Amino acid sequence: MRLYEFEGKMLFKRKKIPVPEGVVIDKDTISELDKVFYPVVIKAQVFAGGRGKAGIIQFAQNRLEAEKKIIELLGKKHGPFVIEKVLVERKLDIEQELYIAALIDRIAHKPLLMLCLQGGVDIEEIAKANPGAIRKYYFNAGEKLFEFQAKRIAGELGFSSDLFSGVANVIFNLYNLFIDYECKLAEINPLVITKDRKVFALDAKVDLDEDAMFRHPDLREMGIVARNEIGELTEREKIAKAAGIPYADVDPEGDIGVFPGGAGFGIAALDLITHYGGRPSNFMDSGGAPTQEKLKAMLGLLMDNPKVKVIFGARFGGISRCDDWAKAVVQYILENKPQKPMIMRMAGNMEEEGRKIFEEAKKEHPELFKNIKIYAYDTPIEEVIKEAIRVAKETT
Amino acid sequence: MAILIDNNTKTIVQGITGANAALHTKLMLEYGTKIVGGVTPGKGGQRVEGVPVYDTVAQCLKEHPDATVSSIWVPARFAKEAILEAIDAGIKVVVVITERIPIHDMLYVREKAKEKGVTVIGGNTPGVISPGKCLVGMLPKIAFQPGRVGTVARSGAVTYYIANSLNLAGLGESTSVGLGGDPILGSNFEDILKLFEQDPETDAIVMAGEIGGVYEELAAPYIKQMKKPVIAYITGKSAPQGKRLGHAGAIIEGNMGTADSKIEALKNNGALIAETLSEIPVLVKKALRIG
Repeated sequence: MRLYEFEGKMLFKRKKIPVPEGVVIDKDTISELDKVFYPVVIKAQVFAGGRGKAGIIQFAQNRLEAEKKIIELLGKKHGPFVIEKVLVERKLDIEQELYIAALIDRIAHKPLLMLCLQGGVDIEEIAKANPGAIRKYYFNAGEKLFEFQAKRIAGELGFSSDLFSGVANVIFNLYNLFIDYECKLAEINPLVITKDRKVFALDAKVDLDEDAMFRHPDLREMGIVARNEIGELTEREKIAKAAGIPYADVDPEGDIGVFPGGAGFGIAALDLITHYGGRPSNFMDSGGAPTQEKLKAMLGLLMDNPKVKVIFGARFGGISRCDDWAKAVVQYILENKPQKPMIMRMAGNMEEEGRKIFEEAKKEHPELFKNIKIYAYDTPIEEVIKEAIRVAKETT
Repeated sequence: MAILIDNNTKTIVQGITGANAALHTKLMLEYGTKIVGGVTPGKGGQRVEGVPVYDTVAQCLKEHPDATVSSIWVPARFAKEAILEAIDAGIKVVVVITERIPIHDMLYVREKAKEKGVTVIGGNTPGVISPGKCLVGMLPKIAFQPGRVGTVARSGAVTYYIANSLNLAGLGESTSVGLGGDPILGSNFEDILKLFEQDPETDAIVMAGEIGGVYEELAAPYIKQMKKPVIAYITGKSAPQGKRLGHAGAIIEGNMGTADSKIEALKNNGALIAETLSEIPVLVKKALRIG
């Protein structure tokens, strides 16, 4: 879970990493501008990078100018994000920019501390052109740094004695923040040295592990809670999100609604439908062991999409059982009497029980089930996909 | 002997009294898996599907010293402890069904497993099956039949569809391994490919990866050294683009993680690329000169 810059800086302050004085301002708190010292830098709080180049980091000499620029920024769009907050900080006189990050190296499977004496926007180019400029230090999982280790690293970077302690302090505290809060990433780019020889984190990029948040209730107390990291959602994506359904619109003209089972096959299904000349409308994860209510909501989401002409459904029952799936699908059909054809395949654990549920319902309500086909494990999944594509093309 | 598990494997189930674990204990027993004990702290002395339950793995192994494989079904917040407990007690293969285990926990577990020479599969794996011999996890038995193709995949359902596709073409599996869907895994493609390369009952290997992560690319150089054919199926070409991990991710991982980068790395190192599920058995037969 990515944090906004101002949230990352809240964590930095808590861990004694120096950040510039500043206030967070939204449309209701512009009076906070009275509290800052000018000149200031105004930074839009959005996830997408390239803020400087996009003109959503601005400078102001006085309150009047700051207010005007903030009003212009708020509500403006940057990529898929709408700017709702800005961080206003005292402008610093910068002498040098550094790069420092603690992260999980997914290749080495180890926590890694990376430093570079040249920081700033071009860090990735520097890393490519001169990999030796990036210093890397690997550590054991779960182990915090000792102060001497942070000092040793600061010493190796060759800082003069007036900066040594400040830099060592940031190394020590950033790495330990990364361990304490179980981050995927804690990055400062740039870490700056000012003309008056002080060290500040000018930016903060923190990415937390959602699956470890239960161990950090203080984050919630600080107001750091689940957020939308993707940017603006479509109407259907909003409905799906509210219902707790992992869902994304893929093709606004897609006419095959995809109800695939787990996320892995959800991804494969998009490729297969595309490969055979069909247009999938959506990605969905209907795997795990979803409740009956959720399964019905998933189907409703696809049926309600006016572009969708046919539902392709698949269940290969592992942890999610075929009988639970069949119950939910049958109930949805009985309650909603859908007109759109459903081409589906069901195999795996509790398949026999699932098949009985479909057969009994079909016997009682033959009219409702006339457009619904459920294949078994002896029909290859791709034949089922091809049929769904054919039905979509035939349906006007 | 297939890989990881076979006819003679004795297994235990950690978290056996949970609803899912109890259901799949029943299904595993029906398949013929030899489950000698279960573990749930505080529930020692009970029985689940006739399997005796112990409070600790150590107590369980004292009674059943020949158990070498454990499957883990406990909630995510207890998974690290459960895996470490299994390693400490002397289990050799730990199959972690539990999903969404904190990343730093998994890094720690990997280090300890490596020190002790223990194989960890998962988390978020559907399990491992050597068809007709042993099933550890929740894979549906109907998807698999005995044969000489090893399979290894990230996703559960893709594992089932691949086996299903092989079986419908008259082929079968020596062992099928679900690597798991969590971001940091106990074992990766390369680890499993090495086991298949050494296994006298495996003639060819199907590996299925998907966008995200770097495990497919990391396996590519090893594929070049292998004697057995590898057929790779990579999904995600049509998927919407995911998010990036700041500058740091790009510095370490470069352009890895896309479907194209994975396919290119695998192809350049000698893997045969299947575009669809039904193409997989065709390529296997071609590589083995069958039919």
